[in-house]
Amino acid sequence: MIAALGAKAVQDVVDAGRFGRFAWRSSVTAVRSCTRKSTFPLIWTQMFLIGVHSVPVVMITGAFVGMTLAVQAYDQLAGMGLEEHLGVLINISVVKELGPVLAAVMLAGRIGGALTAELGTMNVTEQIDAVRSMGTDPVRYLVAPRLLACLLLTPVLTIFADLMGVVGGALVSFLQFGINSRAYWTFSASAVALWDVSIGIVKAFFFGGAIAVISCYKGFNCKEGAHGVGQACTEAFVASFISILALDFALAVTFKSIYEIFWPIKSIVE
Amino acid sequence: MRHGIGPDRTVARLGEPAVERTTDGKELRHANDRAGAIIEVRNLTKKFGHKLVLDKISLSIEKGKTTVIIGPSGCGKTILIKHFIVLQRPTEGEVFFKGRRVDDLSERELNGIRTQFGYLFQEGALFDSMTIAENIMFPIRQHAKVRNWAEVEEVVKMKLAMVGLDGFQNYFPARLSGGQRKRAALARAIALNPEVILYDEPTTGLDPIRSDIINELILKLKRELGVTTVVVTHDMKSAYKVANRIIMLHNGKIVADGDADHIRNHPHPVVQQFINGEVGEDDLAVLRMSGSAGASQFLPRDFE
Repeated sequence: MIAALGAKAVQDVVDAGRFGRFAWRSSVTAVRSCTRKSTFPLIWTQMFLIGVHSVPVVMITGAFVGMTLAVQAYDQLAGMGLEEHLGVLINISVVKELGPVLAAVMLAGRIGGALTAELGTMNVTEQIDAVRSMGTDPVRYLVAPRLLACLLLTPVLTIFADLMGVVGGALVSFLQFGINSRAYWTFSASAVALWDVSIGIVKAFFFGGAIAVISCYKGFNCKEGAHGVGQACTEAFVASFISILALDFALAVTFKSIYEIFWPIKSIVE
Repeated sequence: MRHGIGPDRTVARLGEPAVERTTDGKELRHANDRAGAIIEVRNLTKKFGHKLVLDKISLSIEKGKTTVIIGPSGCGKTILIKHFIVLQRPTEGEVFFKGRRVDDLSERELNGIRTQFGYLFQEGALFDSMTIAENIMFPIRQHAKVRNWAEVEEVVKMKLAMVGLDGFQNYFPARLSGGQRKRAALARAIALNPEVILYDEPTTGLDPIRSDIINELILKLKRELGVTTVVVTHDMKSAYKVANRIIMLHNGKIVADGDADHIRNHPHPVVQQFINGEVGEDDLAVLRMSGSAGASQFLPRDFE
């Protein structure tokens, strides 16, 4: 049993190292690809597939997040006579946490699954080997455009999710609970700063990178057969989901520290 | 045909590398091979985990000749030719292309070398999201600065005409039959006018007529392009038709190496069994000992 545990631990370390090398190589290749004109059409195609097709899903996610927050928070705030501050709670939650995280989770399912399935099928049908056999680096041709498209578009999609979250929350607040719209927006504007919106967008950048690298890695290393591709998709989603949550925590801590360095008094007052 | 190999060739026993000697007992294979060798592997060993796939294989591929590698399924034929183009890295041993060691090069350095190879994968490995024309254009786009697309389209047309598929430019791979897919993949493999073409089981899964079309194509490309050809197959009819030299692998080792006549008359029982397509005594014994149909099948009345 100890031997089996040891072997599993060694294998996990090897896999982590392999993933680290893949992530590093993908990042370096993606940066280099930015300067190569021949890569632009590939990035453009991926941006269309990843970005444009994801807009409706992400907007619907954002809208429901905002609407649900309004319904859940109203009673607590109304009990204290603070219902006009409902916008502060909804909008801060949406732009800082729930918008980026839930949009990224949706994208991990939609884009991550598609990337893993596509690259996994290419792997088991030797199409990735075919790319290599013709003297082309598969990381440059297949991974870099997908990584760049995810890095660039996840923040944009998050803005869509944030926007719909704000609109959804506001509509429920005005139409269902009859909150004064002027007071709602005034309190929201005084509480939600550019910093809060920026945090969410920067987080989305990291989430997009994690989704792309994990999904491509799982696709490149998937086992043979339909079962292998299916398993790789599942693993890619689970790994992406956990990384989104872990990154969210790490970035929240980091941004809090940065905020306290630059605006120490404001953070104490708040 | 390899010269200087007479009837006094020694026969390798299973588990030993084949060494061929002239009448005066001098080892012939390396001296003869290296003279015109374009690819050479030395003491090539490949392991996957604890499984030994290739065991200290040394051989050379002669320039301009057709070398056929035969052997039963799973004996390591495909893995061996993947080492020629370094799609697989050896566990031990060395691979040389045109006298330069290539197995220790980085992927970036290998990209230039790989353009001198054409590789026909077993299932074609055509990019299914691209049309046939786009598949053939792929290596051209990757390695040439295209200014005149009409010229590229002309090249695509020419390559497809060479494999008898002109007019299929706008088809997607899914719409082609197995034989057509292999021919389209072959057109892509020769897009960059390679010096070496590696064929991985080119006739597997095809009917006898389609198989013969592929054989004729292999001969035609060798004749017209003057390429060095390596074919992995277990189709003996195909092997006899296209080969200048046949190498047989068994359990990760070379057990026979010579021209078609040499292989036909090879005294080794494993070679004879393979080329005649006969099941071995051990396998027959297993089949005889296993349960009969009556003992392994149930009828509804058995449960009444």
